[in-house]
Amino acid sequence: MKRLLLSATLALAPVAGHAAEGERVQVKGEIIDTWCYYSGVMGGPEAVVGSAHHTCALWCSAGGIPVGLLGEDGEIYMVLKIEGDDGSASGDTQLKLASHEIEADGILYKRDGLNYLVVEEVVADLGITNLNHEDFGPVPGFAIPKPKK
Amino acid sequence: MKKFILSLACMALPMAASAEDFSANSEAKTWNLFAEQPARFEAKVVDILCELSGDCPDNCGDGKRQLGLLRAADGVLVYPNKNSQPAFTGAALELAPYCQADVEVDGLMIEDPDLGAQNVYLIQKIRNVGDAEWVKANTWTKKWAAAHPEAKGKGPWFRRDPRVKAKIEKNGYLGLGLETDEAFIADWFSE
Repeated sequence: MKRLLLSATLALAPVAGHAAEGERVQVKGEIIDTWCYYSGVMGGPEAVVGSAHHTCALWCSAGGIPVGLLGEDGEIYMVLKIEGDDGSASGDTQLKLASHEIEADGILYKRDGLNYLVVEEVVADLGITNLNHEDFGPVPGFAIPKPKK
Repeated sequence: MKKFILSLACMALPMAASAEDFSANSEAKTWNLFAEQPARFEAKVVDILCELSGDCPDNCGDGKRQLGLLRAADGVLVYPNKNSQPAFTGAALELAPYCQADVEVDGLMIEDPDLGAQNVYLIQKIRNVGDAEWVKANTWTKKWAAAHPEAKGKGPWFRRDPRVKAKIEKNGYLGLGLETDEAFIADWFSE
């Protein structure tokens, strides 16, 4: 019975805020801005990725909105560090990779429904491969200023 | 004894299900988002990378790292993605002055299972626990302006940001190169 009590008590322990055990993973996907994706503020998930949303992805990354890696598995991996650059709020490395498809090797942490990723190596940077601007135009519409006549 | 064990197990449930209602007493303003819910709660401000991996610089990274809210009621790590300005601006600089502090926050929680959004937060105001006055979470653009005096001018910050401008000048608004940009813009804006 004591053992059962101990088990029940330990079940409460993970919420206490200790560093979690990470898992090495390889993820291929697009570096996106998470707020536009999660909130739907600018439309559906297909519209807030790729070349259509590239300018906004730059704005959001520079503005300190978290970037995520939208994996081929459909999961979002919140990026906390890329190859030693821990500037996850407006950092240079993540800005350079906005909208790019990359292959990442890193450590995955799962916590309270979200995936967090420490990218140890960008194994491949494939550039912008989702050419969806022909389908959606610029998202948001004002991302590209109308040329002056 | 069985009853006691059952009680312990039940205590664990809200932590797993994140079912507690934090909308009581919230004064958060709507953004008319599909999955928003007002949420006011107490929490500790933490460096998320430190919290997860044990990689812990001084002062939560001095504003360059993303910060989280370790909710007091249930230990859930809430991720503030957004401050209260409709200007493509995040929450880390709003939270940075409160590194490791116990605070109360008010804002909007985004919970959308279809998109994998869970414990994603838009922070509208913050105060130290026990303080009477709220502080609006809308200081990002002022901090950006102070850090970029060379970019002073008309228009929103994101049109003047040196790094963003350099990227667009090099690779275009679509990020595909200036030739692709030029052709698309000519077609898109043709009458």
